[in-house]
Amino acid sequence: MPSNDHYVIIGNGPAGNHAASVLRNKDKDAKITIISDECTPYYYKPKLTGFIQGKISARELMVNGPDDYTNGYYKNIRIRLGQTIERIDPDFNAVFLNHMEKIQYTGLIIASGGQARVLPSMIPYAEHLSFIASYSDVMDIKDRIDKAEEFFIFGGDLVGFKFLRMLNAMGKKTSVLIYPNAFWPYNLTDDMLEKIIKSLSGLTSDIIVKDDIKKIEKNESGFRVFTQKGVVKTTDLIFSFNGMAPNIDFAVGCGLDTDHGILVDEYLKTNIDNIYACGSCAQVYNPSIKSYCVSIGWPNAMVQGEVCALNLLGEKKVVESVGRKYFDLEGVRIKTTWWDDINDDSLRM
Amino acid sequence: MKDINLVVEICGSAGEGTISAGEILSRFMSGQGFEIMSFDSYPAEIRGFGKCVAHTRISTNPIYSPGKYADVLISLNDRHSISQLSVLKSDGILIYDNQPPKAHKEDQSVVGWATPGMISYGIPLNMLANKAAGNARGMNMVALGALAALFHVDKDAFTGSIRNRYAKKKQIVVDSNVNSFLQGYEWTKTNVNKTDLISFDSVSPQVQGEKLITNGNQLVARAALDAKLSFYAGYPITPATKIMEILSKELPKHGGTLLQTEDEIAAIGAVIGAGFGGKRAMTATSGPGFALMTEFTGLSMMAEVPAVIINSQRGGPSTGIPTKTEQSDFNAALFSGTGDCPRVVLAPTDTSSCYQAMVTALYIAEKYQTLVVLLLDFFLSNSIKNIDVPDKPSQEQIYANIAPNKEQLKDYKRYKDTKNGISPRAIPGTPGGMFFSTGLEHSEYGRPDYTDANHLKMTKKRYRKFESILCEAPKLEISAMDSESVDIGVVSWGSSAGAAHEAVMIARKEGMNAASFSSMMVSPFPEDELIAFTDRCKQILIPELNFSGQFAGFAAGIIKRPVERLNFITGRPMAAEDILQKMREM
Amino acid sequence: MKKNDLYSKEEKRFRDKNKIYATQSVKQIAYSTDNRDFGQVARSIPCQDACPAKTNIPGYIRCVYEKRYGRAYELNRVANVLPGVLGRICSRPCESACRHGEPENGVSVGICHLKRSCADLKPASHKIIEGLYSPTNKHVAVIGSGPAGLATAHDLAILGHKVTIYEAEDKPGGMMMYGIPEFRLPRDLLLLEIKNIVRLGIEMKTGQMIGRDITLDELKNDHDAVVIATGCVSPRMLGVPGEDLVNLHNGLEFMRSVNQGGKPFVGKKVVVIGAGFTAVDCARSAIRLGAADVSINIRKTIEYMRIDETEKHEAQFEGIKTYSLIQPSKIMGENGIVTGIEFIRTRLEKTQRPPYRKSVPIENSQFVIKANSVIAALGQTPDSQVISNELGSIDKNEHKSGIDGVFLAGDFVTGSSDVISAVAGGKKCARAIDEYMTGEIRKQTVVRLENHKTTDRPRAFDFIGKIVMNTVEMDARLTDADTEVETGYKDDQAHEEAKRCYLCNLKYEIDPLACIYCSACIDVAPKDCIKMIKDVPVATDGTFGPYVETNQWNNVVSIAIDNANCIRCGNCLAVCPMDCISVTKTELIEIDT
Repeated sequence: MPSNDHYVIIGNGPAGNHAASVLRNKDKDAKITIISDECTPYYYKPKLTGFIQGKISARELMVNGPDDYTNGYYKNIRIRLGQTIERIDPDFNAVFLNHMEKIQYTGLIIASGGQARVLPSMIPYAEHLSFIASYSDVMDIKDRIDKAEEFFIFGGDLVGFKFLRMLNAMGKKTSVLIYPNAFWPYNLTDDMLEKIIKSLSGLTSDIIVKDDIKKIEKNESGFRVFTQKGVVKTTDLIFSFNGMAPNIDFAVGCGLDTDHGILVDEYLKTNIDNIYACGSCAQVYNPSIKSYCVSIGWPNAMVQGEVCALNLLGEKKVVESVGRKYFDLEGVRIKTTWWDDINDDSLRM
Repeated sequence: MKDINLVVEICGSAGEGTISAGEILSRFMSGQGFEIMSFDSYPAEIRGFGKCVAHTRISTNPIYSPGKYADVLISLNDRHSISQLSVLKSDGILIYDNQPPKAHKEDQSVVGWATPGMISYGIPLNMLANKAAGNARGMNMVALGALAALFHVDKDAFTGSIRNRYAKKKQIVVDSNVNSFLQGYEWTKTNVNKTDLISFDSVSPQVQGEKLITNGNQLVARAALDAKLSFYAGYPITPATKIMEILSKELPKHGGTLLQTEDEIAAIGAVIGAGFGGKRAMTATSGPGFALMTEFTGLSMMAEVPAVIINSQRGGPSTGIPTKTEQSDFNAALFSGTGDCPRVVLAPTDTSSCYQAMVTALYIAEKYQTLVVLLLDFFLSNSIKNIDVPDKPSQEQIYANIAPNKEQLKDYKRYKDTKNGISPRAIPGTPGGMFFSTGLEHSEYGRPDYTDANHLKMTKKRYRKFESILCEAPKLEISAMDSESVDIGVVSWGSSAGAAHEAVMIARKEGMNAASFSSMMVSPFPEDELIAFTDRCKQILIPELNFSGQFAGFAAGIIKRPVERLNFITGRPMAAEDILQKMREM
Repeated sequence: MKKNDLYSKEEKRFRDKNKIYATQSVKQIAYSTDNRDFGQVARSIPCQDACPAKTNIPGYIRCVYEKRYGRAYELNRVANVLPGVLGRICSRPCESACRHGEPENGVSVGICHLKRSCADLKPASHKIIEGLYSPTNKHVAVIGSGPAGLATAHDLAILGHKVTIYEAEDKPGGMMMYGIPEFRLPRDLLLLEIKNIVRLGIEMKTGQMIGRDITLDELKNDHDAVVIATGCVSPRMLGVPGEDLVNLHNGLEFMRSVNQGGKPFVGKKVVVIGAGFTAVDCARSAIRLGAADVSINIRKTIEYMRIDETEKHEAQFEGIKTYSLIQPSKIMGENGIVTGIEFIRTRLEKTQRPPYRKSVPIENSQFVIKANSVIAALGQTPDSQVISNELGSIDKNEHKSGIDGVFLAGDFVTGSSDVISAVAGGKKCARAIDEYMTGEIRKQTVVRLENHKTTDRPRAFDFIGKIVMNTVEMDARLTDADTEVETGYKDDQAHEEAKRCYLCNLKYEIDPLACIYCSACIDVAPKDCIKMIKDVPVATDGTFGPYVETNQWNNVVSIAIDNANCIRCGNCLAVCPMDCISVTKTELIEIDT
């Protein structure tokens, strides 16, 4: 008997796509839908800086080719792109899309990932800031990056420093304001900071630390940035690199337990039976450290997507972390895995 | 200068202003100097709440066909637009209402069906219309505003165009429409993140003289008036009604008479009567009406009375599909009726040739004292194009009757067996020009004469007229043949000719060796020219909009060679894309 | 069901009269005490129903739109004697209920900001109007000059009674004076509105604490009635080791000290515990006292904090971080001084009653962070023992106590709530006392029905976005800690924001006897607001229940407008070919019996 199940997956990144593939393999008949607010098919987010520089083509950025999608389907999985979730109604097993369409599910996987984090103090100036967090961000800004001469970068996460290297290679003038807490969910110690500054000094002449932006003014050609300590910078573009914040606005208040991300247990199940969450939008309970953490990185997202799908189909698999345990930030080793022996303070936002 | 070649479709429910939005768009674009062609489709029921699609092609280069696939689809109604998505290109742009008053159930929202690669822009059409005018009627204008903002179209010129369109309406109507447009424009400018590449920036087509935005129906009516039509009788039928509607207003102003009869039989009867009386007369109908007129066509032929019938073809047989286009009355136009009954059949190949065809039809009918059938179709009748203002008919074309001279009147033979078959025709009331006229076989004097010798002589005389009619035929449309022979020759007629021509042009660009042939005059047919053309083609393709390949059968009989057929009865006009596809397969 | 059963008796009479006068524009007014009308008002004006004081919100917003700020202020004052105060610090249950904030309708109307605008923008020449009753020669003592005490005193004074307020502190206002920071509520405004109450002949005795300066028995003997409105003053304790350390502040005491001009020690790193307004006030005050790193620490998640979005936003903007899913397990100290705090992690668990979640500690998940000071703002409980131990068990919905002639009002009886609830409680208590002393019910609430011809607003108003409150820059906030952060709407901003109100007090109805069932109105309905119904059941409390819909034409009794979904766009009114849709203005008002 064909199954009447409809699995809806929110998010078209590694977690969502992997979950969809697993579901498809295990259940040939079920209806599966992926919904994403991005218009771009599944792509490699970590390769975006390479794409800006022109090192890789748009096709190389994409995971699947255009021929993989026929009439909106990929491997018999319905792909809805450019469609934003307005809210979830768990009582009626429905998600409401922003364009006012109501979709019924029997199982829901939330894998909405993260969005560029805007620091609370920067909210009034959000419209002046640029980000490199998605394909559409890049498309928006690509031409302007080419034209601009002076850049102001603040925060400074992994992508930020990658971007700085790129600007240096392009011969642009840059100023960098480093926030020690920009590596959310990790904090830098003073030692680490010093090492990083040393490493960056070859890339930019202008590093500001232990200061903060006080005000941003827009003028005809660009911006003027004022810091708390009285530094004033004139710049063409301002980039914010302050990590990612889980993209869960649509889920707050619907009955799902949320904190910084969507709260799930070690099986990636939310407090509602047929709803799971995975990837960087999920705040996962880790029994060994007795705390909730948000994971980062492509490999973690893939593994979590798979665990989500299996558990939704009735298994009881505990998620584990994978991938590199450390990444190299300008010569400083920083732990990527949130899984074991991690300092409590550094977990806090 | 950049080229623009864009097909925009607006899809909505009847009564949502779909068609008027399309009209405003094409008028505006024409005013900006673009070539335009638009073809709207209506629900099959003449009135109702069915699906409407306004289809407009905008280009900096000449347009031969409306284009099968759309670059942009504007959805004013989700339910109808979902099925229309199938004609949106895979990288097309969808503009839809993202804030309808009620939430859609699953899969009932058009954007839900947009495939990856399509770019969709959600505009709160309903909400902005309400904001602008307090009701949702202005959704179509909001959508146009969004379109203008997205593609960087001159806002002020566009609003001017909207003002013109509603110039005769109350100020509040003008304001509501303009405000709705501006709401859509401003909202889109501030809220939409453009990701497509279409832009009218730095596109400045040359405005080439005065343009006429018109369709086949309007053009034939205009041509008939210019060619001094003085009598029209008819009974309304889609898609020919508009001709009668225009003439009902205009003909009396030009000193003519319009008669709405009780049916088509009466209409053709009245036309033949007026023709007998020396007036230029015609009627217009569609398939079902033409069938009723068949008996009288014989009288026109036999009594050698000038008569013109316009048959705007629609989906048939019988009542068929009134609002869809088809080319399935070819056989009826050429061969309906009893006896050996030759007639002239003209089938214009595009909108602008409708004018010339009408003038020619009235001219030939009068000069050769015969029945002329002008074959239009739903597409030609209704598709709108901006064309150069046509040249007025010459005096020769307007006064074509060959009247008897004094010598001939001394012993007046109304049906004199002349060398070219044309007998001098006296208008009743001409002194000495009295004659008998009858549908019975008759002698040169017009008196019934059933002898076998007379019947043969008179039939030959009537057929002889047609030998010289061919020289009146408008120029053939043959695409340039660079080489001695081509791989594929596309032979087409009527409204399919434009698509065939376009397909051949694209094919040649792609490196195929191809050529096209079409003739406005389909009866008598320029057989020698066709044979000369096909002799140089390795393969022959005949695309047409009927099931049985009526013209293909006819042409194959002439050239005595097998031909490749391409037949559609989808109700949509012939598409260059489909012909091209077939050519590639060949 | 008969069609005529759709209406209460009063409304039927009103409608019949209206029919006669339909062609003349005569104002038709009726008063109803029918439960069906009360039910209708409650369901179709959600903001007013959510307001503990039942403020006539659409009424005053309409006045703001007309720029009649004085009239708007008076409309507020009918329900709540402190409009200027509540326009700043109200907990805004109305805005959560506002129909404009429902899914697909946008954002709630800034009801509270508009209330503030009435007070800010009323003309200098504004006159307060009070309908004073003749003196009764009865004397009432009110203990406590917080919102409940003030509201009780005001209403009793209006009714002709002599009132004396006994306030333990030096200044009147209670929690409003000592609990709320000045940057949220300027004291001159508070004192002005208190003065407007006291001007009615109320005697205000400050520095008079019951049990210290005077006893309840003495008051009882000297007065015809006594009202206890002392609120909640006993702070909830953390109940963890280390609570006696120096630099561990109790939230209420901390605010009181700050509000009296004190500068309690906070240090650089401040840990605030608590999820309510007081916690946020403490954290924001700590920032103003020079703290660099201030966090609010909550047991559940931000979603379950008992504060509104504005407060969340302002706190975030001022750099205050919120840490969730943790609860303190121990205060760490050295030499008797706070040095840090040990937290234990928690997880959420479902409960059956609001707020439907509780926090459960996760065993062995403790961790320690450093802190220079800890502020515990866990809320307060009433302390009835201080006043008297004869009050007996207290029923939250009653105002009478165990002692004859002693009444209870506000937080003292309901437990810790908010200012608007206290005001509402005070008003109700005043009515109970009046009835006790005079032996009759002198005032009653009725539904006023008035015919109305138009929607009063174009549909375009529905698409205006919320006007953001003006605030001062961060610099100014830190230079003078008492600077009011929000500066109020300007005249035009208030007018614009007022446009957004749907005016739910206008009731739209289809006359089923005139309707021809053409469904033209359904076609133009912007929401699922016009329904084909087969029945309107009456609930046990005498109000109408939800419509029973049908899609079988055979069963349709009426096409009816569901005023609980209606957004008052007027589309149906414009399109009706029979003119059978009527608009009626419905208001809850107080009249003499």
